[in-house]
Amino acid sequence: MERRDFLRNTLLGTAGLTGLTVLGGLGAAAAPAKKGPLKLTILHTNDMHSRIEPFPDNGGQWAGLGGMARRAALIKEVRAQEANVLLLDSGDIFQGTPYFNFFGGELEYKLMTQMGYDASTLGNHDFDNGVEGLQRQLPHAGFPFLVANYDFAQSALAGKFQPYKVFDKAGIRVGVFGLGIELNGLVLDRNFTGITCLDPVAKAREMVTRLRGPEKCDFVICHSHLGYQYKTAKIDDRKLAAEITGIDLILGGHTHTFLEKPEAVAGPGGHQTLINQVGWSGINLGRLDFEFAPGGKRGGLAQASVLPVGVG
Amino acid sequence: MLGLLALATACQRAPYRATARLAPVTARPVARPLPDDPAAAALIAPYHDKVTAQMTEVLGTAPAALVKNPGESGLINFVGDLQRERAAAVLGQPVALGVITNGAMRAGFPAGAITLGSVFEMMPFENELVVVEAPGEVVRQLFTAFARSKTPVAGATYAVSFDGMPADIRIGGQPFDPNQDRLYAIALSDYLASGGDYLDFFKPLPQRHTGVLLRTAIADQVRAFTKAGKPVTATVEGRVRVQ
Repeated sequence: MERRDFLRNTLLGTAGLTGLTVLGGLGAAAAPAKKGPLKLTILHTNDMHSRIEPFPDNGGQWAGLGGMARRAALIKEVRAQEANVLLLDSGDIFQGTPYFNFFGGELEYKLMTQMGYDASTLGNHDFDNGVEGLQRQLPHAGFPFLVANYDFAQSALAGKFQPYKVFDKAGIRVGVFGLGIELNGLVLDRNFTGITCLDPVAKAREMVTRLRGPEKCDFVICHSHLGYQYKTAKIDDRKLAAEITGIDLILGGHTHTFLEKPEAVAGPGGHQTLINQVGWSGINLGRLDFEFAPGGKRGGLAQASVLPVGVG
Repeated sequence: MLGLLALATACQRAPYRATARLAPVTARPVARPLPDDPAAAALIAPYHDKVTAQMTEVLGTAPAALVKNPGESGLINFVGDLQRERAAAVLGQPVALGVITNGAMRAGFPAGAITLGSVFEMMPFENELVVVEAPGEVVRQLFTAFARSKTPVAGATYAVSFDGMPADIRIGGQPFDPNQDRLYAIALSDYLASGGDYLDFFKPLPQRHTGVLLRTAIADQVRAFTKAGKPVTATVEGRVRVQ
């Protein structure tokens, strides 16, 4: 006690450079505790289907909606207001307008790169020009594609994709992994030569263990192209959320589902997973805000304890 | 030393707990009056010009919209019929059936001018028109699958019974007997022929190539109507009768 008081006094008493630097560093590191919660804003899209321009004015139900230049403006508006933004997509970037037929997805990737997408996953239509068609466009994408349940080892795409990525947003560790739909029956065999689809549930469990454990993530996001829900036994986002503990947020796709607000699904052990999906064709941009405050255990998978550093 | 202690703890800090603070609108519409981002618009412009130069070509006119809907529509009959005709012309043999699902067509034709762009909206996929020679058992499975969604098959008529099963199937006007020892030529996309849209029963059958993209076949049919001085029309003819 005496020793601690002495140290504090010494630090505060040393009104010199060293003391200020230490306190400054301390302030930055401990900011969340002292200045209120940290905020993370997640923006997301799914199934944009090459909708570069808004639907034509005679385009029926969605006439005049969407458009990537407008989306870019909206994203810039949010970035101007929020310090910590994560911009994610859940696949099926390709296919749906002549832009894809003419340019093979090049413009889609270039625009997403310009908008500052942090990551996407792969949808079934992203294989519409085959493994080679996808490979040809990858140089235009300045962001990673994350997919944990496709094995590319025997394909021409070996080594091109990662299962997950951890983003550090002002000290918050956000783990993002991707899940793709079973391609058999959806994609021509010759268009996914050498790719093996693995069980998404087992892979999700593996990802959560990894991200909550050694990767020490505070928040785990799955961008999924599995689909929101099916009446059959086919795996979907809701079943995934109910089966797996530890995913905080599933950003879905494939079923083109318009959710007005995210749905909360309780997993085993009561951990809540939010699911969101925002239709298709870039008609909507999803926005979810989270506040982060210290507290709690890291999903039961954290290190046994946080060891205080005994100095002296 | 206190500083060191605090910093070290921050490195091995306890996890943060996340609380959702959702905005009133979590799905922000991308619509007017949002402006175009200038940088994105500049990136799009040269691509746009190349696309529109080709897409605005008018191929024909439809007095009424050809609307996409579940079950039988003028649109699905139009596409199924042209698949049969084009495949028969390319291969130089009769083709009994034309198969397309409603899901495989991504949009209908609006009323008025049909442009190459309209055809692309409807059939964006790079699917080739192919022909399979199907035995009676595969044809039976086809009608069983299509009866569930009351989807028509070009070249045939059938009824759907109260329990969703096909009945009174007629191909080219003749009653269909699955046990008859013959093959039926079916014109369809290579996507469906490869088992797409869960039509697994087609998968084992060898595909005969036409070398014609389905989209090209559709565009050519619209051009052919125009050349013959006809507008593009298609009707619901009762190819599927619900009992």
